[in-house]
Parts: sequence; structure tokens; C-alpha cells
Amino acid sequence: MGNNAYSILIKDVYAAYHGMPVLEGFSLQVPEGELLGVFGPNGTGKSTLIKVCLGLVPVTSGEVRISGYRMSRGSVSFVRKLTAYVPQSFDVDRRMPVTAGEVVMMGRFGRMGIFNRVGPGDQAAADDALHMLGVRHLAERTFGRLSGGEKQRVIIARALAQEPRILLMDEPTNSLDWESKKRMCSLIREVHMERKLTTLIVSHDIDLLADTCDRIMLMEQGRIIGARNPSEFRHCCRGHGHS
Amino acid sequence: MAVLELLQDGFIRHAILAAFLAGVACSCVGVLVVTMRISFIGVCMSHAAFAGALLGIILGLNPTVVALIFTLLAAAALGPLADRGNFSPDTSLGIIFSSTLGIAFLLLSLVPGPKTEALGLLWGNILTVGKMDIIILAAVMLAIIVLLRLFFKEVQTVVFNREMALASGIPATAVFYGILICSGLTTVASLNAIGGLLVFSLIINPAAAAYQIAPDLRSMFFISALFGVLSGWGGLWLSCLLNLPSGALIILCSTLLFLGAVTFSPKKRPWLADAMSREPRSEICQTGDRNPEADLHDEPETDSRQPCSKSALMEE
Repeated sequence: MGNNAYSILIKDVYAAYHGMPVLEGFSLQVPEGELLGVFGPNGTGKSTLIKVCLGLVPVTSGEVRISGYRMSRGSVSFVRKLTAYVPQSFDVDRRMPVTAGEVVMMGRFGRMGIFNRVGPGDQAAADDALHMLGVRHLAERTFGRLSGGEKQRVIIARALAQEPRILLMDEPTNSLDWESKKRMCSLIREVHMERKLTTLIVSHDIDLLADTCDRIMLMEQGRIIGARNPSEFRHCCRGHGHS
Repeated sequence: MAVLELLQDGFIRHAILAAFLAGVACSCVGVLVVTMRISFIGVCMSHAAFAGALLGIILGLNPTVVALIFTLLAAAALGPLADRGNFSPDTSLGIIFSSTLGIAFLLLSLVPGPKTEALGLLWGNILTVGKMDIIILAAVMLAIIVLLRLFFKEVQTVVFNREMALASGIPATAVFYGILICSGLTTVASLNAIGGLLVFSLIINPAAAAYQIAPDLRSMFFISALFGVLSGWGGLWLSCLLNLPSGALIILCSTLLFLGAVTFSPKKRPWLADAMSREPRSEICQTGDRNPEADLHDEPETDSRQPCSKSALMEE
């Protein structure tokens, strides 16, 4: 497979925070249209992996290509418009004067360019995303006053409003209960299929990854150390006493 | 009648205009500072401006110009410190804050002769503002309004979450530095009218009051500007009435408005906040049925499902 066949191509990347190495010789290939999970314990560099894909954490060596575009200072802004990011947590004050509808519309702003105003196409994309995530009825509500699950879906709607090629999700079920996690898994799968996305989910949630992903990579101390399909992955976890 | 007599005086007309301009400029910048939770950065900036103005007096240069240079330097230093300092942002800003305050008071002691002009910068006096002060205030206020109008969507995105803004292709770092520079410019422009010690209260208080009330960011700018102007005019009127320092009374008026907003905030009353958002509770559809897609709940206290340990997977 050539380099351009992969939506995400990471080759022998080293990345560090304040001089502390996080990714060490990290490599990963995600073919277009795949829903890939990366599993690993806390502190293993999963969130850094997502941020490397977004150019938020600089790499000290190695190569990152997103949709065939090599990540560099000149291309990072363009690459970010191809990728949508669902962060692990978003600490928003309950009184922050921003409605859920405005949050979803913010997903369009990066694509629109600096001096352009919201047009009918942008409004339609935001409405479509609100509808798909089933949060249209929340559009006028203050974002900070929503429940954890509602916020999560609004943030995913925001990501979809961006009309990305690649969806990057960092622990998307972190603040959800068991029932909500199940719903979120099917929702992520549905969104991935319907929008024909390449999706990368990093998580330490076995059920999320096993129920949702096509393939799961195992990560340890800043490196990929193996791959499993969902049934192998679940089987191995059950075999070791995890339900 | 007394009010009309007061309006005959040129310096009162200047003061009314300055209160309006400073009120709008400070409170608009305040919205950005309050929503981004960078109030302490602004305090550092106002002290840097004060120190710069004092250095200008000592060197015989234009205090406003030197204050502007100091403030821009402070913005250039504070941004990276807040972003990626090796210390926590609180510690870094605490050090900068105490340093700028120390420099300011050191320079205050070095001002030769009577310190009236220097102390004027500390407390400010809106009744003594000249035409040049008003021109500078008007220019800064207009610049801020134009910038907000042009870049509102970028500002809104950065205010909501800087990292997500950056990740979606918004030039969030440039917007952040722009906010710091606007904060510095407003502080410098307001030094003579409000004073270096008090200006930051006029930046924070009206915006913090508007934060308790406003349903969205756009209305927060308008409410904050209204509170800023009311504080300015109220303080000015009380100053004339009671013959007390105008800067201090302007700040006290803004504090009273903040206390009123906190007391009567609809955001403290969920039923009123819901009514303001013009929507029913999310879990219930408008028809009264439960929304089948809206019941993703918050995390319960415990979750017995443990993640698979990496060692277990390694053994496979």
C-alpha cells in the first residue's frame, strides 16, 4: 500500500512533553474507512497520539501524514480542517453563555475562513449534525447545563458539522454510565458508516473498543505492541477476568 | 437643574465622554478576560502599564507611549508563560504580578519632585482627562468593537475551548495574543481616567455581572458594556455629589452592579434559566414524551467494569 492509501500514516515518530518522551518510535497505519481503536492504560501516550495527528504536539522526529498530506508547519492548518476532534473532557462552566447550537456551529468556523459569515450551507451542515446525533431539541439550551452524555453528543455533532474525513476521539465514553456507553458505541458506529469516515478512537474502555471498532491496536509505553480483532480482544480480556 | 449646570463645564463633558468610552472598552475586553478565565493575566497587564507610565515620567518621555510598550512586552511574556511554562500558570503569573507591582512601586519612589502626576496614574481622575485622552480612548474603543465584529466567530470558538478551536483550524494562538494585546491597550488608554490600580476592576466587574445574566456571548458584550457605562456615569455623578475620588466610586458602582447581578441571576434559578433558553428540559420532548435519544446520563458513582490490564493482553 502506498503512503497515500492510508488516512493516517505515522512513521517512527518521537514526541515529548517538556522533555519527557511520550511516543518513542511510534508507527501506525490507518487505511481509509477503517474504525480503529487504540487500547492502553492511562499514561501510555494515547491522548498524545491524537494530538500528534492534529499537530497539537510537535514531533521531534519521524513522519505524520493525514489523508496523504505530510504534517508540517505550513500544512497543519489545512490538515486540521480534514480532521475533527472529540476531546476527552471539556471543562465548561455551567453559566458560560454559549448554547449547544452555537457549539455545533463552531465546528464550521475553521472551514469557513476568517472573514466569512455563516451561510445557508453552514447552517444546513450544523442542522444535519444536530439531527444525526439526536440533539436538535437541545440547540437553544446553555451547553454548560447539559448532562455529560448530552454534552458528549453535542461535541460529536460539532465534529460532524466540520464535515471531516477523519474523526479522532479521545476516551469518548469517559463520563458516561453503562447504558449510555452502549448507546454511544452504536452511535459512533452509525456515524462512522453513514459519513464514510476514517475513525480513530483511543480508550481504555474494553467494551467501547470491542463493540465499535474494526481492529484494536494495543499500546504500551508510547509504542504499538500488537493488534487484535474485536472478538480476540474481548476474549483475551474475558480470559483474564474482565467482563 | 444642577445636572444641567454641571454639563455647562467642559471638563464634566469630557469626563462623561471618557466614562462612556472607558466603560465600553473595558467591559468588552472584560467579557473576553472573564469567559477565558484569565483575570490574573489582566491584573499583571494593568500593573505593567502602570510601571511603564512611571518609567515614562522618570525619563521625561510620554507616559502613555512607554506604558504601551511595557504592556505589549508584558503580553509577549505572559502568553507563553500561561501556555507552556514549566511552573503552573498560577505560579508563573503570581511571580510576574508581584514583579510588575514591585517595579511599579520602585519606580514610584524614584519619581523626582512632587509625585502628583505619578499618583494620578495610580488612582486616576476622570475629571482631569484632556482631549488627547479622549481621542486615545475613542480609538481604542472603536478598534476593539471593529475587531470583535470582524472576528466574533473566532473569538467565540476560542473562548469556548482553545484546544478545540486550534484543532478545528482556528488560529487560536493569534486570537489569544490579540485578546492580551487588547487588554493591554485598554488598560493604557484608561490609565489617566480610571488609574492603574482600579482599571482592572472596571474590566472585570461589569463583565462578571453580565456573565450572571447573559444567555449568549453576543448579549454578554452588550450587557457588559451597559454596566460599564452605568458604572462610569454613576461613579462620576457620585463623585460630583459627594466630592470623593471618581475612580474609586466608579469601581464601587461596578461592584454594586455585580452584587445585584449575582443576587438576581436567573442562572441560579434552573426554572428561569430554562425559560430563558426557550426550550423544555432535554429529557422530555415538546410533546411530553420521553426523548428516546436524549437519555445519555452522567457517570454513576461507581462502575464495576474494569479496563483490561495491559499485562493480560501482553500474555496473549
